[in-house]
Amino acid sequence: MGRRWNQVLSWIYARVPALSRRYAARMDAVRGAVPWSPARVPLERAAVALVTLAGVHLRGQEPFDMARPAGDASFRVIPGTASPADLAITHDYYDHSAADRDPNVVFPLARLQEFAAAGRIGRVAPRHVGAMGHATGVEERRLVGESAPAIARLLAADGVDYVVLSPG
Amino acid sequence: MLVGVVREMLEKAPAPRNVLVRFRLGRVFGEPGNVVQQRALLADALSALFTIRQAGALVELPYRWRRGVYVDPLAGPS
Repeated sequence: MGRRWNQVLSWIYARVPALSRRYAARMDAVRGAVPWSPARVPLERAAVALVTLAGVHLRGQEPFDMARPAGDASFRVIPGTASPADLAITHDYYDHSAADRDPNVVFPLARLQEFAAAGRIGRVAPRHVGAMGHATGVEERRLVGESAPAIARLLAADGVDYVVLSPG
Repeated sequence: MLVGVVREMLEKAPAPRNVLVRFRLGRVFGEPGNVVQQRALLADALSALFTIRQAGALVELPYRWRRGVYVDPLAGPS
């Protein structure tokens, strides 16, 4: 059916919430214990990072591969100093017309920068991550087994205390 | 901490902490250009880091799409 069909479906799903609920009802629940770490660092001293599956990346970075039906498990590193104009979105599986106008609706980096300037958080992490959440089969295994651990190592190396995750 | 708009997805694949906001797909932090709304959403999500005390738990924010008045969490005293 191609990219255009995926984009049409995304437009419909955004406007008919029941479709997403029905889709979710068919999902398998993730098995295993949910990890847990106490939130010990006060927000005003914390380093906060954003990780999104909304297909956000820097203009000039290689876009996510929309030609592969199994998706794309790769991720892009976005500096904490980026502005909305520096960002682009590649993702055919949700309606990102709003995010194209203002990436903060899925990746609120400008808002995080304001929080840091106001002392509400300790600092914006130096690196943030954009990935594209459509990944099935081998790409899903890559996302879980390779990309996610690499992202975690990156954030740990930067001394990140808290991560805000967002979908597309 | 994961912020999402579909409860069933957050429940099926929970992060350690989960925040549900009943907005649309692709607009999880609000409307384009609505800075106060986006700040309010982000502030509430960050607060949930400390109010959620059980792995996988979910809190639902009270906001409804295109309804409601938002208080700017960064506004100083008037």
